[in-house]
Amino acid sequence: MRKRAGLITALTVVTALVAGGCASIGRDPAPAAPPGYIQELILPAEQPNSVQGLENFNPYAPAPLTATWLYEPLMIRDLFSCELVPWLATGYSWPDPQTLVLDIRQGVSWGDGVPFTAKDVAFTFNAAKTYPGADKAGLWGELFGAPATEVVATDDATVRITFAGPAASKLDALVNTMKIVPEHIYGAGGDITTYVDKTPVGTGPYQVGEFNGRRLTLVRKTDYWQPDAYKVQQISLEGAYDANSGALKLRNGDLDYYTGDIPNPERSVARNNATDFYYSPAGTTVLAPNNERFPTSDPAFRTAMAYGIDKAQLARKASFGVMEPASQTMVKLPVQQDLLPGKYQADGGYLTYDPAKAAQLLDDAGYRMGPDGLRTGPNGEPISLVFSVQAGFVDYLAMGDVIVRNLKALGIDIRLIATDPNAVDAQKKSGDFDMLLDYVNGGCVRAKDLGGKLVSSQISTGDDLLLNVARYRNPDVDALVAQYEATTDEAEQADYAAQLIDIYYEQVPYIALQYAPSRLIYNTDAASGWPSTENPYPTDNPLYVLPHLRPVS
Amino acid sequence: MKYFASKIGYFLLTVWAAVTLNFLIPRLQPGDPAEVMVRRLSGETGQVDPAQVEAVRAMLGQPTGSLWSQYWDYLGALLSGDFGVSFTYFPFPVTEVIAKALPWTVLLVGLTQVLSFVIGTLLGAWAAWRRNSRFDGFISIGSTFIGNLQTFWIGLLILFFGAYELGWFPASGGYGYTTPGWNGQFVADVIAHAFLPALTLMVTAPIGFILGMRNTMVMTLGEDYIRLARAEGLSDRTVALKYAARNALLPSVTNFALSLGALFGGSILVETIFDYPGLGRLIGEATSNRDFPLMQALLLFTILAVLVANLITDLLYGVLDPRARKES
Repeated sequence: MRKRAGLITALTVVTALVAGGCASIGRDPAPAAPPGYIQELILPAEQPNSVQGLENFNPYAPAPLTATWLYEPLMIRDLFSCELVPWLATGYSWPDPQTLVLDIRQGVSWGDGVPFTAKDVAFTFNAAKTYPGADKAGLWGELFGAPATEVVATDDATVRITFAGPAASKLDALVNTMKIVPEHIYGAGGDITTYVDKTPVGTGPYQVGEFNGRRLTLVRKTDYWQPDAYKVQQISLEGAYDANSGALKLRNGDLDYYTGDIPNPERSVARNNATDFYYSPAGTTVLAPNNERFPTSDPAFRTAMAYGIDKAQLARKASFGVMEPASQTMVKLPVQQDLLPGKYQADGGYLTYDPAKAAQLLDDAGYRMGPDGLRTGPNGEPISLVFSVQAGFVDYLAMGDVIVRNLKALGIDIRLIATDPNAVDAQKKSGDFDMLLDYVNGGCVRAKDLGGKLVSSQISTGDDLLLNVARYRNPDVDALVAQYEATTDEAEQADYAAQLIDIYYEQVPYIALQYAPSRLIYNTDAASGWPSTENPYPTDNPLYVLPHLRPVS
Repeated sequence: MKYFASKIGYFLLTVWAAVTLNFLIPRLQPGDPAEVMVRRLSGETGQVDPAQVEAVRAMLGQPTGSLWSQYWDYLGALLSGDFGVSFTYFPFPVTEVIAKALPWTVLLVGLTQVLSFVIGTLLGAWAAWRRNSRFDGFISIGSTFIGNLQTFWIGLLILFFGAYELGWFPASGGYGYTTPGWNGQFVADVIAHAFLPALTLMVTAPIGFILGMRNTMVMTLGEDYIRLARAEGLSDRTVALKYAARNALLPSVTNFALSLGALFGGSILVETIFDYPGLGRLIGEATSNRDFPLMQALLLFTILAVLVANLITDLLYGVLDPRARKES
């Protein structure tokens, strides 16, 4: 017996000794950075892959190890100001609505020294025609704008794209989404989507340092075409973190940058001395009533619902008050105040909570309160609504809860059903629902982001999940969006956008709830210059965030 | 001979049924892999861009032809060893993805299963030998209690204390900062990463073996030949190990063979909690991504491994125990 006890003690001691330094075996500090540079920034891995050692940097694969730092887009859209920031292209022009001319930057080289030219751009766009899997921008398809018919590099500095018809709506995805790849490497491999890129040669600010199957280090290129833009010497991508482990890693200083959904950041991370957060609006979370079904097909009923929902309380419950209640104009406030049409400047276009007004609107439209405390339709038919919410989306469920209580208080018989997200998608496709939660993108291609939610061609009919989830149908809007898509004139575009905003405000096809966040939680020990309410800038693209960072002095 | 033929015939029939179900089940599941993938890239609540969905669909390839022709294509591809290309890890073939994950599961689950079998069987035998003692009560009640707790919950507790509160062990992955290869640092890194998931498995996995062995052995101890052995004055040790435990072991061996067959499935919960890069984690990932080729290959290998383990134990029984042959 004594012998055995001794053995157990010995084992325990050995375990404890081994364990002491186990958590970070082999972790070497990043090499020293030159003065004025940040030594290292630790970012989460871009792909939550669990299989280790499958190495692919091809930006046209669904899950490249990094899609950000090696290959670059032509331009970057600033989602606050809606300006296009020149990147590999210095500018663009529309000689006519069917022709787009891109001015390609000169003096840029690929990682192997070969000059980058307009031919590489034309190659990338043409590859998307040959291999439709690479057509992430929908360049050669019918959606939002006419398909392209020809892409040519007229010289080293110019690419001309000809479309079958007006195609202004395609610009954004073309310059923003399509990462330009080198023709002299990708051209040899056949299908660019199945090419396994193990030795990336990009134009981007970083090149691959080391990859051990789990942790990828990227090292700043000294001959990058914007030599002084990036002040971070090394980027390490490691680990896929859920909210809990992400928050813990941030607190320990093992992570400098996180974009996942950490609930209540005010308490869970921001009060910690070395981290802060900035949640900017990315778009609007909306209630989508089924515009094809009674009574949600009635604009008066929808408007009453909009006034009957307490969006301030909803924002407090769903996002701990971090996100603001949203404007019914679907414009992101306050960061896009300048883009708000004149007549909404004064009050911001909010449909603020006013239950008395909501009840009055329902009474006026003939939805009388019965003796049982429930309202009926103008013909006396009973109203009974089913509200489908994605099970497991905690913030959605919190919103659903507030909405159901508010509408019941108005005398509307409504029931919330939490169900599998895939089942909610199936309801969106078939139109078999009364109301559900949806999202209006706050992007800058308004013809698509605002118009797409309203045009009848975007109503799903079967297998495809299209944009017009609320199934709003209005021939005038269809014509309006068609005109909007056809024009490249900025004044006309602003006018069409204002008309669409009026539809959102007056017809209430979707009910704005609160802004949906584009999240960034960061470590203030690592660098300064992060975005904040005092220093706001868009956080959706890390390639655009990093040039703002400077070493902590 | 009839016994063996019928067992093999039964095996082939089950394999065919498994292959066919494996073809049908993913096709009956709701959810479009292209939409799931675009949603994953654009964030949970973001807008799914129809143009992106179309591109991903073109990339993954849409099934064409009737269900029958798809079925024949599927059987043909299986026979030629072609399991297709993983959607999640496009363009890597499914077999390559599985080959990368397999060693991790063999290491983690294989090792803990063998250890669980040895420890569980010994503890069960000991508890039965000293049945109704305090030790027996402790073991029986303790394992019933722990067995009723969820592996998931135990795993989270171990993760919380071992990785976050004490910070002794890494919380996730198979290794961290070291370069894979046969060097001391990498081996230490792998052991450090495997420690917490292995501990979780070692809390729950031996329980089945403990209870099984204890109950069979209690029955064996009531047999006449044990009394005879005792009456002959053989030592306790000889009676317990050579007479009782040896005869009680057969059902436990069957259990063990089946548990090894299930190795392909890994341990989904434990591997998911610790983000361990094995097959269990892969199954969870394939399911949530609607990665049909990967899901099918993993399920098929799991089913085949269980069936083969079953067949081998059946055949072994036929050789070892003449009564089994007569009964059929």
